Amino acid sequence: MPLLSSILLTPAITLIILLLMPQKAVRGIRLICAFSGLLTCLLSLQLWMGYDPTTGGIQFEEIIPWVAAIGISYHLGVDGFGVILVMLNAIVYFTGVLTMWDLEDRVKEYFAFMVLLVIGVFGVFMSLDLFFFFFFYEIAVVPMYPLILIWGSGNRAYAGMKLMLFLLAGSALLFPGLLAIYHHAGLNTFDLIALSAHTFDPQFQIFVYPFLYIGFGVLAGLFPFHGWSPTGHVAAPSAVSMLHAGVLMKLGAFGILTVGIRLLPEGAAYWAPTFVVLAVIGIIYGAFVAMRQTDFKFVIGFSSVSHMGIVLLGLNLAILGPVVIDALNGAVFQMFAHGIMTALFFSTAGYIYDKSHSKTIGDFGGLGKQMPRAVSIFIVAGLCGAGLPGLASFWAELLVFLAALKTYPIAGVIVILGLVLTAVYILRVFNLAFFGAPNPKWENLKAQDMSGLHLIPRAILIAVLVIFGFVPRLMLDLINSTTVAFLGNF
Amino acid sequence: MDTLTLILLTTISPLACFIIAIIFLVQQPRAAQGLVLCGSAVSLLSAIGLLAQGPVEPLRFLWFQSGAIQLQFGFILDGASLMFGVVVAFITACIMLYSTGYMAHDPGKTRYFAMLSFFAWSMLSFVYAVDLLQSFIFWELVGLSSFFLIGFWFEKPEAAGAARKAFLMTRVGDVGLFIGILLILQLVSNFDIPTLLDPQTGLSTQISPGLLNAITLLIFIGIMGKSAQFPLHTWLPDAMEGPTPVSALLHSATMVAAGVFLMIRLHPLFMAAQDTALIVLSIATFTAILSSTIAMVDTDIKKVLAYSSISQLGFMIMALAAGSLFAGVFHLITHAIFKALLFLCAGIYIHAYHTNSMAEIGRSGGRRLKAATLGLLIGGAALSGVPPLAGFWSKEEIFAQLGHNGFNIYMTGAFLAAFLTAYYTFRMIFLITKPDHTSESDHSHPEPMNMQAPVLLLTLGAILLGFFGTNIANGLGLTAQHHSLLLMIPTVGVVILGILIAYLDYGRNNAPRTGFIGKIAPLNTLFTNKWYIDEVYRITIVAITHALSRILHWTENHILDGNYDRFGLGILRTGAKSTRVQSGWMQLYLGWAIILLAVVALYLGLR
Repeated sequence: MPLLSSILLTPAITLIILLLMPQKAVRGIRLICAFSGLLTCLLSLQLWMGYDPTTGGIQFEEIIPWVAAIGISYHLGVDGFGVILVMLNAIVYFTGVLTMWDLEDRVKEYFAFMVLLVIGVFGVFMSLDLFFFFFFYEIAVVPMYPLILIWGSGNRAYAGMKLMLFLLAGSALLFPGLLAIYHHAGLNTFDLIALSAHTFDPQFQIFVYPFLYIGFGVLAGLFPFHGWSPTGHVAAPSAVSMLHAGVLMKLGAFGILTVGIRLLPEGAAYWAPTFVVLAVIGIIYGAFVAMRQTDFKFVIGFSSVSHMGIVLLGLNLAILGPVVIDALNGAVFQMFAHGIMTALFFSTAGYIYDKSHSKTIGDFGGLGKQMPRAVSIFIVAGLCGAGLPGLASFWAELLVFLAALKTYPIAGVIVILGLVLTAVYILRVFNLAFFGAPNPKWENLKAQDMSGLHLIPRAILIAVLVIFGFVPRLMLDLINSTTVAFLGNF
Repeated sequence: MDTLTLILLTTISPLACFIIAIIFLVQQPRAAQGLVLCGSAVSLLSAIGLLAQGPVEPLRFLWFQSGAIQLQFGFILDGASLMFGVVVAFITACIMLYSTGYMAHDPGKTRYFAMLSFFAWSMLSFVYAVDLLQSFIFWELVGLSSFFLIGFWFEKPEAAGAARKAFLMTRVGDVGLFIGILLILQLVSNFDIPTLLDPQTGLSTQISPGLLNAITLLIFIGIMGKSAQFPLHTWLPDAMEGPTPVSALLHSATMVAAGVFLMIRLHPLFMAAQDTALIVLSIATFTAILSSTIAMVDTDIKKVLAYSSISQLGFMIMALAAGSLFAGVFHLITHAIFKALLFLCAGIYIHAYHTNSMAEIGRSGGRRLKAATLGLLIGGAALSGVPPLAGFWSKEEIFAQLGHNGFNIYMTGAFLAAFLTAYYTFRMIFLITKPDHTSESDHSHPEPMNMQAPVLLLTLGAILLGFFGTNIANGLGLTAQHHSLLLMIPTVGVVILGILIAYLDYGRNNAPRTGFIGKIAPLNTLFTNKWYIDEVYRITIVAITHALSRILHWTENHILDGNYDRFGLGILRTGAKSTRVQSGWMQLYLGWAIILLAVVALYLGLR
């Protein structure tokens, strides 16, 4: 059985089994999901090991023609970027299932929607056919609505609606863009590889690229279209926030890279300076807004806007040069690092919320005395967010900053100063909620600190952050050849 | 054992202890403590073993590659790192031993010892780092472990605040350093320290003097943050909120020493950048004087020691900027020993009397604690520069260098700072040993052995270390200059003057017990309020940041997000309004249809 299809089919089969299972078999449902999560992790690991970085390029290809008349085929394949993002999704899927272990409310439906989302994400990262790419993209987006509406908290109807409308508006931009590409190429194929060989007319590229960039960018938290993301994160249940901020936002960035930049490099180059400005604003703006939030998850939400800004900055710098390789390596590394880090953030913030039913930072105080383990884990995630060396995002940020400093020195200095702002809002949360005199209201939490099973998903995420923090080679060796090949195309 | 094994033992054993303690030994504080102590001993012995082997070629391993950048991970084993590595490991070991007494009853003991171990790992790895980026990584980790240790008693809001302040302020400096490092990477695609410093092919030969000045200044901003130089020094006195052994560690051989050590590492670059050297010299001299003046009036023993650290760091940086690598290293090492000693003595007093006020300690009978008082006297004298103790020799070197290069104005500044140092140090000694009255009853705890032993060991160091100047110079590959007797006269003179005035103000019988500066009211106010630097920050940088975040938060809620919401709500309302048309009321539909038809007919008819 081909590896990529196996990875894609594992959650698909899980979904079918889930639907056939009785409502009451809660334990069984959880176990099956956890098993499928673990299996995808192992398969992704096999993919990681099996991918040969020395030859680079697209590997593990599978093609089955489907609708030959309009050139749609089931075409899967991954390059280095795909490999690490598949890995990311598998890790977040597995840890997400474990995070939601205690869920009691409509377990079957919850996991069914979540697995559907996971299928969509895997599909996007592997598809080399524009039709399937968009198809999976929509599959990944749509389950968010019921997930937030049914299992969410707070103002969930509003948040779910807002998220859905923003993302669909993004898709509404994307769809004509993709169709325009299909028709303009006139190759009668949706195949990404075939299309990327075609050189599009520069005027056309300049016209169509913003459709793709903004369409995908909405999902990547592009300033000023980021409004849905913090609101959505806050209302969603933990594992959904994890998948959402951890993986779903990467779909947007991945789309910009593999569809937008690959097919329309000249359009991308034309627009890059503008989008660099937006990315820099996003980084600084997100940090400043995060500084005044009163809700844990809102802080993380705006920090995601800020950190995804680094990804977008890296992508745009990769087109502008001159430090293209580092910029793209950094952007892709940041996708992975931010994915793991946010998953850790939301999984821990969600835990604290589940136990205390409060997300308001000011409600707490000295929580470090009451829930030392949960707080320590949150602190690790926070430090990763602050770009501390020894954790994965340091390398990603280093590479992007390096490129920024060379290409636009002023923008470079501004985003590096952003590191201080990040530290300010992260430490603010620490000091208000975790340090200081313990609030007697939460004495009952002492007995409910993380233990046993709850520690496993967080431990996995921390381990990943530390491993890539100290051995960035694992990542860079894998993606470097892809980056070189990718940039060599234009 | 071969060099690689030794260096790995030196650096990795504290890390291993940290991991084991924090994961497995949270419930067994005694085991954690024992493990960490053993790890520290192994680290110290291996560091000594390395020093005994003498300097060797750096060890390098490929770390990663991205684009044109190739990063190495490795260890530099030259005189400076070998000697300072031993000092770091030695002082860490002393402080860990001392902590077994000081922190004996603290519930968070495992966390405490684990963090100490983490600290030792990051500092030692920083000292031996061969690659500039590797240095930066461990430099940041040193800052991180300081954050956790300063905020160790995080349930105290002051401690949490102090930890945050330390982290943020050093981070401001780190941004400068980071930009400087990235600039280097861009220019030469290389981070290898020996290669960068090579006199024939190094960085200084490849780039213009202006650029070199810019880079070294950026790096110096990082040093200013870490080594608490004006204007980024205000975190250091606040950091006294941590446990006293932590202060001893932070302000002697680790955290603050990291900045100076980075300057030692990159000394040739600073020497090639002449403008930078002059700026650095000015800042360091100013810092030395500024912090001494604050130390003159503070009443808290730890604060006085903290300000004295700032001023002594200023001395080291002065020496380095004036061109003497040896004087900088020498003073760094001697200061590490006697400042650790002084803090540990202060810790004994605080442990015994539960007060930080020097006058209170004196009144409670501080001088009855024999080991502490001995340490205080020797350490204080060494700090003041009383011959023949350690501080005298190293300060002497600094003056010699300043005089040698004709930096007269800076030399005057240094003499002033040295005078003030002697004055405030002996003020501290007299306040503790010659109280105006003593309370009859003695409630003090006895000094436990495990706290006395490190103090006595360090006292010995403070006495003897000064005589090893020649060895240290040889270790650096330099020859020590012989001192002119002419220079010794003013050096000793200012010290004696300082002690004398301190004696008149605080020491003699019926002393006024107010400093001479109290007579000059404006200066006294200025010094007591720490030159109002914190206040200036509060109304400038802090206020601006808050204002910006408030404005942008408002923008997000009212302009960006608000308008999206209004847009969505507008559509909803339009929809709601238009549903009225669909009322299901047949007559109304019919009526509309007739009106519409009439209008169309009218239009067609009139056309």
